[in-house]
Amino acid sequence: MGYTITEKILARAAGLPAVRAGQDIKAKPDFVLAYDFPGYTDVYFKTMKEDFGIERVAEPERFGIFIDHMVPTATAKEEELHINTRTWCAENNVPLFERRGIGHQVACEVGYATPGAFAVHFDGHVSQLGTFGTLAIGLRRNVLEAFVSDTVSLRVPHTVRVNLHGSLRPGVMARDVFHHLVRVLGPSSCRFQVLEIGGPAAAAMSTEGLQTITGLAMFTGALTAIVNPDPVRLDYALPRARKRLDPVSSDPDAEYSAVHEVDLSALEPIVVVPPTPADTRDLTDFLGLDIQAGYLGSCASGRLEDMRVAARILGGRQVKGGVSLHIIPTSQELMAAAAREGLISTLVEAGAFVSSPSCDYCFGRIATMTANQRAVSTGTLNVRGRMGSPDSEIYLCNAAVVAASAIEGRIADPRPYL
Amino acid sequence: MALTPLRGRVAYIFDEVNFDVDQIVGVKNIKITDVEELAKLAMQPYDPDFAAKVKPGDLLVGAGNFGYGHPHYPPMKAMRHLGIAGVIAESFSPGYWRGEISMGFPQVSCPGILGFVQRWDELEVDWTTHTIRNVTQGTTIAFEPPPQSDAEMIEAGGLVPYLKRQAAEQRERKGSEHVQGA
Repeated sequence: MGYTITEKILARAAGLPAVRAGQDIKAKPDFVLAYDFPGYTDVYFKTMKEDFGIERVAEPERFGIFIDHMVPTATAKEEELHINTRTWCAENNVPLFERRGIGHQVACEVGYATPGAFAVHFDGHVSQLGTFGTLAIGLRRNVLEAFVSDTVSLRVPHTVRVNLHGSLRPGVMARDVFHHLVRVLGPSSCRFQVLEIGGPAAAAMSTEGLQTITGLAMFTGALTAIVNPDPVRLDYALPRARKRLDPVSSDPDAEYSAVHEVDLSALEPIVVVPPTPADTRDLTDFLGLDIQAGYLGSCASGRLEDMRVAARILGGRQVKGGVSLHIIPTSQELMAAAAREGLISTLVEAGAFVSSPSCDYCFGRIATMTANQRAVSTGTLNVRGRMGSPDSEIYLCNAAVVAASAIEGRIADPRPYL
Repeated sequence: MALTPLRGRVAYIFDEVNFDVDQIVGVKNIKITDVEELAKLAMQPYDPDFAAKVKPGDLLVGAGNFGYGHPHYPPMKAMRHLGIAGVIAESFSPGYWRGEISMGFPQVSCPGILGFVQRWDELEVDWTTHTIRNVTQGTTIAFEPPPQSDAEMIEAGGLVPYLKRQAAEQRERKGSEHVQGA
């Protein structure tokens, strides 16, 4: 019986000839990632010194810290947190990526998404590094283990393999594919397992689309998602890779706990209705609900193909009066590329509020919604209070739906605009 | 593994799958840090007299994928303050599980638990045999053994004491290697 890509990566990281799903191991992460956030990085830095006597990390090149939340700062306290982070990184010689964009995307751009590598973070959306064959797991506070010791304790996860088939119809995007998977497989289908995405439709999908799908894996219950990297993903990732490793892939006879074949050719645009990411529905059943806000951005969406489709829909049209449309490119690299393509001017002329990359729109720190407001959003999450008042509502959808809805001031079908 | 057995009554049964634990204190209260205040708010939508009824050692029971969504720490901080000693569910959402285990708060994954208990039944969780005894009904059910590191973390009382213990063990090993080498 062969091995999954996950088993191969973890065997190397554990220094063992082979590991099997279910085995308890200690594995050394190639990369330890985090963004600065109160109660996380500030606590790690303090705990390392005060409880573990660690003044300097031993291998700074294994670390990567991002400043992407509270950007720009609104209070002195937030700036103090960033100063603390800058100081720690400078003292430890740890790479710091500040204001470059949302960390999970920047991590891919700057080479932490090294094919074959094992990476940890506290935030589960780091799973999008899986697009490039990196096993990236969000450990919540337990990532502290990787700050105070070489290894992390974990049980080698089983893998659910999903093969995607068929081509997407116009107006249907990777975002719909992910939420369709939650709908057909269920929000606990991959609990404590790895979601391995493959099949002809995955091979044909854009790298950005795969980042969207893998980045949201947690809502299937998965610990992370991963793709066996093909030449397209390797062409992106290998020249940027921060570590020299051989890319690995699952063996043809690898053992999966389940294998699902999912046909996408009949898929229609979806919405995920509040207040849970588990509730995927047909867009067509929710058309006409009035909206006051639209958000196109986040670590899940907000890349070039999202901005392209939005520009195509909004080009020569106007955002409806009374609707706040925020379009926030995921990273500066993507924002600059969008500017070069002329997308930014099209979006701005249509009345969108376009701003530099920040995580803050996704969790309501800015563009905060008040009671009884409703948003269409490509953010990661639609739980109560995520973007402001617990009495506001978030309908998650693809970028085209956000753009079309902003024009009409109500949840709208993007297909007539395409 | 020397985990202390849990013994307590079923203080509440959350029978909703994919249960979002933030509902326990209400999302609008999720940023409150004062545990007394959180404890007063806890369970209001479910049982307003909960705080008066619960006794130290009592347990919560949940359905499948318990803790799904974007779980925060205050709800279970409030529950521990009220005396709740652990949660037993059909299954758990990984994010919630990791978060609470790192607080040293026992979580027990037990498929079949919903059909096995009534509210206020007395239960006993035995970590060595991986079984739960329903003392009230005189029945027994098996649960899924947690990963070794999670069991050790519960036993140590949370993430930091667990990591400290590990660091001490590592120093000890290095020390004895050094002695052998010399």
